[in-house]
Amino acid sequence: MVDLFKKIVFKLYVIGLMCFTVWYGFFMFPLIFGFEGKEEARASLEAMRGGDTEEEQMYTRLLTEQTKKKTTDLGYKKIQQPYIDGRFHHIGFNIQKDEFSTCVRCHGNVPHDESKEIRSFLNMHTFYLACETCHSQPAKGDKQWKFSWYDKTTGQKVSNPQALLDIEKSYTSDDEKWQYPIFGNYGAKITPTMTKNNEQRLLHGKKEMDFVVRYLNDQKNLESAQKSQMKKVIHRKVSKQPVECKTCHKRGKTKYIPFETLGYPPMRIDELTDLAVVGMIQKYKKFYLPNFLNPGGVNK
Amino acid sequence: MNTTEQSVQIVSVSHSAEGVSETRTARHLNWIQFILFAVILMVPFDKSNASNGEELNCLICHKHRGLSRIDEQGKFRLFYINQELFESGPHRRNNCKDCHNDIDRIPHKPAKKVDCTQQCHIIEPSGKRKFSHKFIAETLAKSVHGKLDKDGKPKPHQEDFPVCKDCHDQPFYRPIAIYKGEAEHGISQRSITRCKACHKTGNFAKDFYEHVTTRLHKTRFSKEIVNVCAKCHGDSEFRKRHELDDVIKSYKETFHGKLVFLGSERTADCIDCHVVEGENNHLIEAKTVPTSAIHEANLGNTCRASDCHKKASPQLAGFQTHVTYDRKKYPLQFYMLIFFKALMAIILYFFLTMIFLELLRRLFPDFSFMKDNAPHHIVKPEADKDKP
Repeated sequence: MVDLFKKIVFKLYVIGLMCFTVWYGFFMFPLIFGFEGKEEARASLEAMRGGDTEEEQMYTRLLTEQTKKKTTDLGYKKIQQPYIDGRFHHIGFNIQKDEFSTCVRCHGNVPHDESKEIRSFLNMHTFYLACETCHSQPAKGDKQWKFSWYDKTTGQKVSNPQALLDIEKSYTSDDEKWQYPIFGNYGAKITPTMTKNNEQRLLHGKKEMDFVVRYLNDQKNLESAQKSQMKKVIHRKVSKQPVECKTCHKRGKTKYIPFETLGYPPMRIDELTDLAVVGMIQKYKKFYLPNFLNPGGVNK
Repeated sequence: MNTTEQSVQIVSVSHSAEGVSETRTARHLNWIQFILFAVILMVPFDKSNASNGEELNCLICHKHRGLSRIDEQGKFRLFYINQELFESGPHRRNNCKDCHNDIDRIPHKPAKKVDCTQQCHIIEPSGKRKFSHKFIAETLAKSVHGKLDKDGKPKPHQEDFPVCKDCHDQPFYRPIAIYKGEAEHGISQRSITRCKACHKTGNFAKDFYEHVTTRLHKTRFSKEIVNVCAKCHGDSEFRKRHELDDVIKSYKETFHGKLVFLGSERTADCIDCHVVEGENNHLIEAKTVPTSAIHEANLGNTCRASDCHKKASPQLAGFQTHVTYDRKKYPLQFYMLIFFKALMAIILYFFLTMIFLELLRRLFPDFSFMKDNAPHHIVKPEADKDKP
């Protein structure tokens, strides 16, 4: 019995060594024959994926750039940040992705494009305001909505974000820790909520998200007319006219978004509603060309 | 600058900017307002009053990470300024307008590209003149990276020749602390306190300390420098256009390259070998230029540079640093490589096969392909040999 056991162990040992020999042969192959052609192979693979047209190449570039990071070693600290080709100023950090916005799912995070003067400002707001905050309004006669924060990763209603509350310290504290507050990256977004069956729920909640996901999955099976129908249904809460800047950026207590309730620190509210911001908004309004310069057209 | 001051400033600037935009719709203004604005516009803007901080309070908008748009070419444009990182480098002493000098009002129109050679408001202490990177641009123009050849004619593929931003993003300070013992990264509080004993006003001591100690060593990590060069020299299409060798790959195969990519800061990177010691870093010359650091006659001196192989003989530089195995360009190197690869493969796989067969025999000691019973294949035991 012992002899048999010894024999089996020996055979297994020999088989193990044989496997190692074969593996070693494979392992050494690229080391001996080098990696010549690897770059060319990668380039040709990218070209295959990217296609010939400018648009296709741009898409390929976008896919590769989204994961690009840059590390700067200062010796006493390392700065790792997203990399955008050709950008001079440092970015520092990425904004947390919004996994629970039905709109962002198709329109992305930088959707505003129409108005040349304010598109960047509007895009700035998409990082901490849900689209429906400005693009949906209660119907006439309906109760005004209440606003709340929702978590970008869970889609659940959350209390006022700490990162926002901490901004106050940047105004009041001498501590270096609070010297550089981060604006807009709160891990949460402001969204309208409505009361239904005595329950306060998000205007675009899980139910709406599931609906959009289902549509996106099934759309290839739908007829063109059905697609249009579905789009109409999905967008039915979208108002024709979005909420205007001055509805929130103004002095007084009757602001559309109640900054105080949502945890905005007093100094920050002052900033958002003082002349610097409000005045600028006024000026942007006046940047539109007057009608007499736009024959046959109407100003937006 | 505190927030209240910023707010006050923005309001004052906004008013003058408003005057300009309002003139477009002057029909809405009454004559008194019009004359008032005209008077304001005629008052010259006193630049000496511009503060060191944000004279236009640009960060009121640009502090938002999401300030961005997609341009007409489909490119993502981000206008965010990370204040903390901006203030970690020498440019923190500049106002935004020093570089983006076409912006004279907020809200502003799309800014023009920054010209790094323009003068900014900082007075360069040695010459008491306004600071500019013009000299650097002139040096770059003389180098192999300049857009014109020695006859002043544009080199082919103009778009491939670098401008400032191709190699530089916003610089950081990399201060070092030398108080006792070896130098360490970071600021020595003991040292800077001694500066601050006299230089109390503002951030003068910190600026000076960080600026000077950053210049006592490399401002960028060696690996980052190689990666910067690799942006162009690592691109196969670029190399094809300019008929260049793959120097990034060959560098990575060298002892220097291995050490740099393992994290060494004391090993030679591209700049160390390609710039003559004491010369401006932007003056990289082709190896055919007699003054070049890598010209055959100067290679020895380049290796003997201070902080490198000071006592090296000229033979140290007698090898080809960037070995490229191109059959047409370097046939000797190419066939040597083939020979050694073949030699190594033959030896290694011969012995691996032997080992494998030996192990196979251990596994099947009695195995044989010859199954026939021919008398000469049957080994008789010694005792049976004498039997008929």
